[in-house]
Amino acid sequence: MYNASLTSNTTFSPWDQRSVVINASVLDNRYALDGENLEAEMCELIRECLLFPNADSNKFDDILTSLMKVELIDTIDSVINDKSAYAAQHANETAYRGEPMERSALGTHEEAEQVTAQSAYAAYRKLLETSRVEIFVSGCSEFDDAKRIFTEMFKEIPRHDICELSTSVSPLKPQTEYVSDTLPMQQAIIRMYFKAPECEDREARGLFAMILGGMTTSRFFMNIREKQSLCYYCSGFSNKYKRTLTAYAGVEPDNIKRCEEAILTELHDIAENGVSDEELHTAKLEYYNRISTIYDSMGAMISWYLNQLTDEQIFTPEEFRERITAVDSARIQAVAKMFKLDTVYTLSGEEAAQ
Amino acid sequence: MIEKIYNDIVKETCLKYVTESGVLVYMLPMDGYSTAAAQFTARFGSQDNGFSINGGEFIHVPDGTAHYLEHKLFESEEKDAFSLFAQTGAYCNAGTSFDYTQYYFNCANDFQKNLEILLNFVNDPYFTPENVEKERGIIGQEITMYRDNPSWRVFTNLLEGIYSVNPMRNDIAGTVESIAQITDKTLYDCYNAFYNPSNMFICVSGNFNPDTVIETCERLIPKRETLKVERMKFDEPARVAKKRMELKMPVSKPIFEAAFKCHTKSGLAKIEDYVHYDILFELLFGTSSEFFERMRENGSINEEFADGVSSGLGHFFPFVRGESDDPDFVLSEMQKEIRAFKAVPFSREDFECIKRSSYGSMVRDFNNVSSVADTLSEAALEDIPPFAVIDATANANYEKTLECLYALDEDNVCISIISSEDN
Repeated sequence: MYNASLTSNTTFSPWDQRSVVINASVLDNRYALDGENLEAEMCELIRECLLFPNADSNKFDDILTSLMKVELIDTIDSVINDKSAYAAQHANETAYRGEPMERSALGTHEEAEQVTAQSAYAAYRKLLETSRVEIFVSGCSEFDDAKRIFTEMFKEIPRHDICELSTSVSPLKPQTEYVSDTLPMQQAIIRMYFKAPECEDREARGLFAMILGGMTTSRFFMNIREKQSLCYYCSGFSNKYKRTLTAYAGVEPDNIKRCEEAILTELHDIAENGVSDEELHTAKLEYYNRISTIYDSMGAMISWYLNQLTDEQIFTPEEFRERITAVDSARIQAVAKMFKLDTVYTLSGEEAAQ
Repeated sequence: MIEKIYNDIVKETCLKYVTESGVLVYMLPMDGYSTAAAQFTARFGSQDNGFSINGGEFIHVPDGTAHYLEHKLFESEEKDAFSLFAQTGAYCNAGTSFDYTQYYFNCANDFQKNLEILLNFVNDPYFTPENVEKERGIIGQEITMYRDNPSWRVFTNLLEGIYSVNPMRNDIAGTVESIAQITDKTLYDCYNAFYNPSNMFICVSGNFNPDTVIETCERLIPKRETLKVERMKFDEPARVAKKRMELKMPVSKPIFEAAFKCHTKSGLAKIEDYVHYDILFELLFGTSSEFFERMRENGSINEEFADGVSSGLGHFFPFVRGESDDPDFVLSEMQKEIRAFKAVPFSREDFECIKRSSYGSMVRDFNNVSSVADTLSEAALEDIPPFAVIDATANANYEKTLECLYALDEDNVCISIISSEDN
């Protein structure tokens, strides 16, 4: 099928419930060498996979399940291969303790060990029958084949007790929690979580995160990397549902404390003195640029609307651009004042830790 | 003069232009897109660590110089390039490879202004002892970050195992020790030698006006004396330097990468090799191969197993990578598989199926503005027509793929392994 792809993955973000995303991509019919209807072929393939999995007597194939189990465990364990991912996963355990986000969407090694051909099949049936299903299609087509095939497919599935999607704000800890972790490594990684549970100004939160650490002229980049030469990367991003801001950097182990203080200094400076007109203007321009690129990527277009599923109001990119335009420096400063340090996680080599 | 190059497969037209100063420009306007991508590339990469200018003595520069230069070019006496791009909202960055250094932006607005910023900052170096010194700590941290990355280390160790003298065996960013020797003079020497219009090219794709590109390039790229730069030659042996490389790092399961050293051609002959070896390795070890299914079922490999072909100026090798409790066993099974296919080759039907998959992948790349610019830049770097790879894929044939199979020496292979003390 001309290198068509059909994949699936499991994620927690942005909701408190796990989601399984089935992603299919196929060449447009115009480019098929022998006039094949590739859209219909792909939709039929998805239908076959979902309705007729390799299962019998309420269980998946035993050999395949064992194989998939081993590979799932490999994937869970392999987080140690990527130090940044390892730091993020372990830091999340502290920052989001007691919340779904504290866990990896794949579960733990021990949980994966418990999976059987029967339990996996039961979970699969539950997914088919009770999950909230959203289908997004994007490309140069009217998608008549997709509509027809998926409409027919769902007639064959008994649907009941449909799951509700929800999001929750992450509560601020009474006291900042500091956690240190070690691995044999040369560079240290620091992750700092700031929370503002009462802050409802989503647009100002997004711009604040960009000014602080989300672009190449951010405070972190210009002051911590370029002026102080403390690190190669120091960035920040916000989570709109959790109302958190995460700052992260890779630094020389001796400079962990200096980097932590530098990050705090930048945040406090915005809280006390606000941001300049130029900073706000450039952040908005970069935001506009990002919004415009959505139309050039089918995946980005789908993500844009998928991530708004539980929002009270769904915005087009243009509508959201208008809301960004309306943000002024006072709103940024107000947001900065609300963010408090919740968790500081460091990962460094054993020697550095000693 | 603008040359129009039409491709019937993707139904796109690429415009080719050479500025008066000698810069090659490829442009591919894309209807219905809102963004544009521009890439300004110098044929200067990490492997260019020894060269002479106009027949003079050979100059040796420390490993990591091309990458260091890339970092420093963003700086200027007044506003740095990042700050200038911030005034338009464009995304800009740069990257250094073994054989080139590239500066690029993606934007939705102010295309001409962004192109002016790109051309101006790449054409206007500003290196001082102070600003070169300031960068050392930042690049040192970048080097350290990569040294903690097993996926990068398995690859760099592989190159060290394949090559005896090819400078590709040295890390692109150099080492903390090698970059300590880089000065503002080193950077100016390299800039003057390699950032010459005749050694550079610009590729633009997406939503833009070609006339704007031509006018801006002619206005802002100054004519310079064309220097005769000779790169230091090296006589790389045909056999791999080492058959096995192993390093201990914390990993959950050993990771490995194995490459088969091949003769490196150039131009269209290399593209033909690239396309056919890519198809061959998909036939032998791809996700739909019997090998993949068998080895995955017996637990020797997992879904991380992948194959590909690495190709650039002066290097070419098909490879596989993956995770396994016993990478040496996986390699020996691969060698057996190659021998088995040499005895009883794959069918024409299987070949056609994989060829179709490669074709689909190439066509889909034309969905993405940045991918199109990448395709044009790769062609310019190799000095081949802009649609050469997709044409070669469409024209790939069974017989040539068989030739590649018989030419492949399954014993001329290096395997690089990263394992932890616990594995």
